[in-house]
Amino acid sequence: MANLQLKEYNQQTSNTKTRLSWLWSEYSVIIAFLIIFIAASIMSPRFLDINNQLNILMQVSIIGIVALGMTVVMLSGGIDLSVGSVLVLVGVITVLALNASGSILVAILTALFVGSAAGFLNGLMVAKGRIASFIATLGMMAGARSIALYIAEGGSVSGEVSGFTAIANSDLWLIDYPIIIFLIMTVLVYVLMHKTRFGRYVYALGSNEKAALLSAIRVDRVKLGVYSLVGLLVSVAAIIETSRLNSISSSSSGVQYELDAIAAVIIGGTRMTGGRGKIIGTFFGVLILGILNNMMNLMNVSPHLQGFVKGSIIIVAVLFQKRE
Amino acid sequence: MSVNPFVTMSNIEKSFNGVPVLKSVTLKVQKGEIHALLGENGAGKSTLMNILGGVHQPDNGFIMMNGKEVKMNNPRVSQDQGISFIHQELNVVSDLRVYENMFLGAELKNKIGFLKVEEMCRQTSNVLSQLGVSINPKEYVRNLDTSYKQLIEIAKALLHKSSLIIMDEPTSSLAEHEVKRLFKLMKNLKKSGVSIIYISHKLKEIKEVCDRYTVLRDGEVVGTGSMKDENLETITRLMVGKSISEDRFMHDHSLGPVLLEVSNLTSEGLFNNINFTLRKGEILGFTGLAGDGRTELFESLFGYRKKYTGKVKINNQLVKIDHPSKAIKAGIGLVPKDRKENGIIKDLSVVHNMSLASMRNFEKTGLIQEKAEHQKFQYYKEKLNIKVHNPRITIDKLSGGNQQKVIIAKWLEVNPDIIIFDNPTQGIDVGAKQEIYHHINELVEQGKAIIILSSEAPEVLKVCHNIYVMYQGEITARLKGEEATEDEIMSYATGSKREAEKIG
Repeated sequence: MANLQLKEYNQQTSNTKTRLSWLWSEYSVIIAFLIIFIAASIMSPRFLDINNQLNILMQVSIIGIVALGMTVVMLSGGIDLSVGSVLVLVGVITVLALNASGSILVAILTALFVGSAAGFLNGLMVAKGRIASFIATLGMMAGARSIALYIAEGGSVSGEVSGFTAIANSDLWLIDYPIIIFLIMTVLVYVLMHKTRFGRYVYALGSNEKAALLSAIRVDRVKLGVYSLVGLLVSVAAIIETSRLNSISSSSSGVQYELDAIAAVIIGGTRMTGGRGKIIGTFFGVLILGILNNMMNLMNVSPHLQGFVKGSIIIVAVLFQKRE
Repeated sequence: MSVNPFVTMSNIEKSFNGVPVLKSVTLKVQKGEIHALLGENGAGKSTLMNILGGVHQPDNGFIMMNGKEVKMNNPRVSQDQGISFIHQELNVVSDLRVYENMFLGAELKNKIGFLKVEEMCRQTSNVLSQLGVSINPKEYVRNLDTSYKQLIEIAKALLHKSSLIIMDEPTSSLAEHEVKRLFKLMKNLKKSGVSIIYISHKLKEIKEVCDRYTVLRDGEVVGTGSMKDENLETITRLMVGKSISEDRFMHDHSLGPVLLEVSNLTSEGLFNNINFTLRKGEILGFTGLAGDGRTELFESLFGYRKKYTGKVKINNQLVKIDHPSKAIKAGIGLVPKDRKENGIIKDLSVVHNMSLASMRNFEKTGLIQEKAEHQKFQYYKEKLNIKVHNPRITIDKLSGGNQQKVIIAKWLEVNPDIIIFDNPTQGIDVGAKQEIYHHINELVEQGKAIIILSSEAPEVLKVCHNIYVMYQGEITARLKGEEATEDEIMSYATGSKREAEKIG
């Protein structure tokens, strides 16, 4: 009898254990976010201040939008290293279009077109040219930056049309436009990835490309779509970045954006090789990075040490959420 | 029978997540015997062998080898005891050479730590020639056929001078003459005192090569004894708990008009001048040895391969299929072989695997209707008897038979007129096999046309109206299902016989 009870007890504990491990594996990034959030609010009283909170969101919105695109491309089993360079190229051309036409609408449309065209080119190289995404986008990374530098002659270009700065510097009930754009983009990409055929195909292709093709999925077209989408999101980020200071620097803007975006995606629990991960994970991954940056500033950590702290957190985060 | 068996697994119990998988299982293997371990998928065979291999630890019970208790704490201990485990899934590294695979983790080195490549190659050649194959030891494994990859695994076990070899479905990717060679080898091994635990669903093979058997059902031993004293039917009954007929499926419906007409299909180096027709309501079988080109032929027909010439007519209309999506439009579906690599998408849930090829059926204004997907899955779950508690789990958690049923459901949902099944019962237990044959039969009664590719002659003999035999990319015979015999098929498949007249 005693034995039987013990067995039942064991079974119960193992059930709770599996339930806990399920909770952990599904929501580890949210749990990590909460821990860091609570830790931050204990460590610095200024952290919880509403202005500080909005400040964090404002600072992550650009990287956040880029990271959404990076999530999609990484879910498909690829990677896009060119996001930072394409962002600069889009920014420079946008400013030129803005000054030449005097129309904000023309500038925005130009930005969206240039971004998605660069992405489409990446997609062509990967899908039709069968070049590994790492290599193809590495080439684009070098090329796009170089063209931006050439056009801007190595310096910055500034907008001459009043009103363009309003895009990134206005707010709606205290909330800045970039935050709102980031949130809207998150919702849109979430819907795209989890509620549409395209999203399902991206997961399938990232997990097993051959089986996806044998399921009659137009794998090439999906890949073209994926890279174009990244380009489109990058151009949205580029509009915000350019509008914020009404200028963009061909040499120093967008540097290392690809690394920050990849870091956010990885912290968010998306698998490097594709097929597994969530948009919501990336959202919280971006927030975690933002809080870390903010905390280090509030606590006066030397800017030279911030990279070290960030790097360590990324590795610890990934160690903790290791699955399978 | 000796008093002290070579290996004894005694009263082994094991649960996963509170679900008992093994209930007080005892298995005794003598020195120098081939012991068949039988049971349906999910009966607990793999778990039991994983415990012997040190992959899992038992909750209860113990293992004795040579009369001494051994704790298999990890796979290394098990290997040191002389146990080799040849898994059903091949554990070879495609990007390494043959000899590098053979010595992986146990490389021969000279005094200063450099590899003794020539010595390793020599030993590799020796062992492989024992198996009756000649492969260049320096060949990359990725360039070899699947059947050779299997042989490399077996050769690896020989090389390490194992005293107990566990073989999990070793013949599932071997052609018939390779199977014969393997059996001869197993008998030789037996004579030299090596024990073998042999797991297979192919009862005929077991009868041929095994000395004793143990049958598991739902984690319990339901029978054990000497192979000579039992006939296959008794064992089948033990495995599934009911008897299963080995008879041909009777087809009493009449065939409709010609649906598919293939003429002069050729792809350089893969297949040559293929002609056949498929009628509504017909089950067509394609069989042959490994490397006969049948898989490539139908992958081309399905649009997965593009480089081929020849004419394909469906409903008397010429079609050009260069992508699987065009095949679907033309009304062709394909249940591919090697389920794990080609069939399932392991990170997607069971439901999402089912709906993947027919997403349009579940869309409304561009958004997926998850509810409709789930309802449809419930329908197939009941229709095909798919055993799954929670269809939201990823598909790799299901047993092979259930995975295959999900893939079949996927193509039923696409609803093409022609469905090609490539090795549909690979690695599937007897019960599930019967169910799949049954469904195929139902499909043709509804007026679909089916093509079955299989390396197992009995399988095509059992279900097909007509059988095409292929040899080195060419059709060597067209036989009637009722009249053909296994021997006849073999003689065409090995190229020793060839039909004189042109077929088709």
